[in-house]
Order: sequence, then C-alpha cells, then structure tokens
Amino acid sequence: MKTPSEDHDLIRFLDGEMSDTERASFEVRMETEPLLKSEVSLMQRMSADFRTHVPAEMPVPYADFFNSQIQMRIAQEEPVTLPAVRSSWFDWWRIPTLATAAAAVAMGGFMIVQNQKQPANNSMVHSIYVPNPSVQAHSFHSNEAQATVLILDGVEAMPSDRQMVSFHIERTETDQAMATTTLFGESGQVVAVVAKDSRNQPRLVSANPRG
Amino acid sequence: MKWIFIPIFLTAAFGFLKAQQPVVPSVGALPPVKPATDGKVWGALVYATNDIQGLTGSTEVAPADFADIPGRLGKVFPFQRFEILGQHLQDVFREYESWVVPTKDLFLKVDSKGPAEGGGINLHLQFWRDQQVLVKTDAVLKEGSPLFIGGPKWREGQLYFVLVLQKSR
Repeated sequence: MKTPSEDHDLIRFLDGEMSDTERASFEVRMETEPLLKSEVSLMQRMSADFRTHVPAEMPVPYADFFNSQIQMRIAQEEPVTLPAVRSSWFDWWRIPTLATAAAAVAMGGFMIVQNQKQPANNSMVHSIYVPNPSVQAHSFHSNEAQATVLILDGVEAMPSDRQMVSFHIERTETDQAMATTTLFGESGQVVAVVAKDSRNQPRLVSANPRG
Repeated sequence: MKWIFIPIFLTAAFGFLKAQQPVVPSVGALPPVKPATDGKVWGALVYATNDIQGLTGSTEVAPADFADIPGRLGKVFPFQRFEILGQHLQDVFREYESWVVPTKDLFLKVDSKGPAEGGGINLHLQFWRDQQVLVKTDAVLKEGSPLFIGGPKWREGQLYFVLVLQKSR
C-alpha cells in the first residue's frame, strides 16, 4: 500500500507540478521501481483517454437560473460599492455583482440587479433575467397605481389572429410523483394539466377543444 | 378407530395456523394532506386597448378584492380599456412550484422563497409564453401592491399579466 506522500508525488508528477530537480529524482525512482513506472504509465493512458472522450467544456445545466440565484444572493448580502480609484481595467471584475451579471450576458441573456430602497409595504423586483438578448427589461414602482411594474420591450407580438385560450381557475391539484398540476375551473371541472418535458419546459394540455 | 382423530387434528391444526397469521387491519382512504403554503395569489391576463370595437367580449370579472386592478392599470399604461381575458386564484406552495395559468398562451411559474421581512412573500417568478420563458425575476410580493408585467403586443393593444397577493384572512 502506498503512503499518502507517494500518492502525492505521483499526482504532482502527472500534473507537471514538480520542479526540474524533483522530476529528475522521480524519474530515477521510476527506473528502479517497475511497479511505480507501470502505475504512471497507466495513469497517463487513462488521462489521455479522458481528454479524448470528454469535452473540455460542458454547458452548465440551468445556467441562467443558477446565475440569477447567485446574483440575487450577492445583491442581498453585499451592497455594491464602486472603488474610488480604479488601478486597472480589470478592477471592475472584482465587483461581484457586475461580474456575475457579465457572465449571464456572455451566455446570451440579460440580467439586471436592483437594490433600490422601496417603502416596506411595496412589492419589489430584486433582479431580472431575460434570456432573449433582443428583449430589454426594466422595472419601476408607480406611486399613483401603488403597483410595481416590470416592462419588457422587444417581445415579439402575438399574431393578431391568434385566439387566446382563456381559463378561470379556482383550484389546482399537484401530483408530486407525476410532476403534474391539474387545473380546475369554477364548476370543479378539469380545465387543463400542466406537466414538464425532459427539458424542464412546461407543457400545457387543455381540455378546451380550441386548446 | 384412530382414523376419526385425523379430521379433529387437522381442524385444530388449521385453526392454530390461522390464529398465527398476522391480522391485516382494514385500511380506509387516508385523509388528503394539504401541502404547506406561504400565501395565495391571484393572477390575470389583461388585454389593454383603446379600440373599443376590438374588445374580445370576455365576461371575466375580477373578484371583489381586486376589483380596482383595471383602474390601477390605467394609471400606468396609456390605454382606456382593460379587459380580463383569464384569471387564476392559486396557493403558493412552500415546498414546490406553483403555476398561475389564466391563459394557455401566457402563464407564470411561481416558486416561494419564504416569507419576506415585514410581510409578503419572496418569490422567484418565470413568465412563460408557450414553451419560451420571457423573463425570470426575483421579487417580493406584498399585500395590496400588485405586480404588473408587460407582455407582448396583441391586435391593437397589449397584454399585461397581473399578480396580486391575496390578503391573509
């Protein structure tokens, strides 16, 4: 059984982290220890196989939601403070909120974080993420209407001839095992069922013949 | 003569074995378990227009608690008529997602993030148009302070999604 220090040396050799002296010494050891040499050879082959078959970059599942959640937590915990003097162009990356938002933008979406103070009894939008880069979003509070407003500019219009399939839902039942939600109308009749497909997108099946 | 003891023995043996079997109690239907909720929201899809002739003729009316919503929309958006196309009263589940579906075309996914400081609910909202998410937002929804989401243009006007937290009773 190898000691932890031997494992550590092996890993450092494979990762190219040894100094010239250490590497030379390790190579001498390999010449005198056939077992060590065969283990190094095996590990190098496995590493090469991994590089061949596993892509270097993989998409993060639900990256937009992941980013929005991180971004929201940062916004809640750390008020953004801009440095008084910027010593280098990359300093702005050190502002966590901007860096996270920039990551979201790089993924093709657009994120806005808002830390504005609102009266305690008003609804408030903390963050907005718009997956479609051609859509612009912003929010504000209307004192006159006593409402919070989220505006989406650039959303593609609904076709004029599209007939809306409207519901009046009074009650729902959720089946956890099937991951479905059944929607019931005013008379207790089933109106529609919401399910999710393999991409986690909602599929709405309507009992309405038009739906 | 001894053969007559065999049926007596078998009867006694079966009786003993039957007595040893576990008794299965009769099971009635379990009472339905209501999932924990953080509140209740009312959602509606509203068609706003200045073209009175172009109204859809929808007969949907807001509940008494939210009867002032069309008037409040009129204080924000430059339209004269606000017609409720569909509406949905929905519990906000604490443990899992809730859907607010006033229409098949535009609807909202609601995830509770727990009670907000000073009242209301912290929510993660996703505004969907068919299989396309238009916007995701983290928001605090407070009683008496609705959230208006500007949706796509339609016909001569525009569609708005309204989300209101129902007052706790």
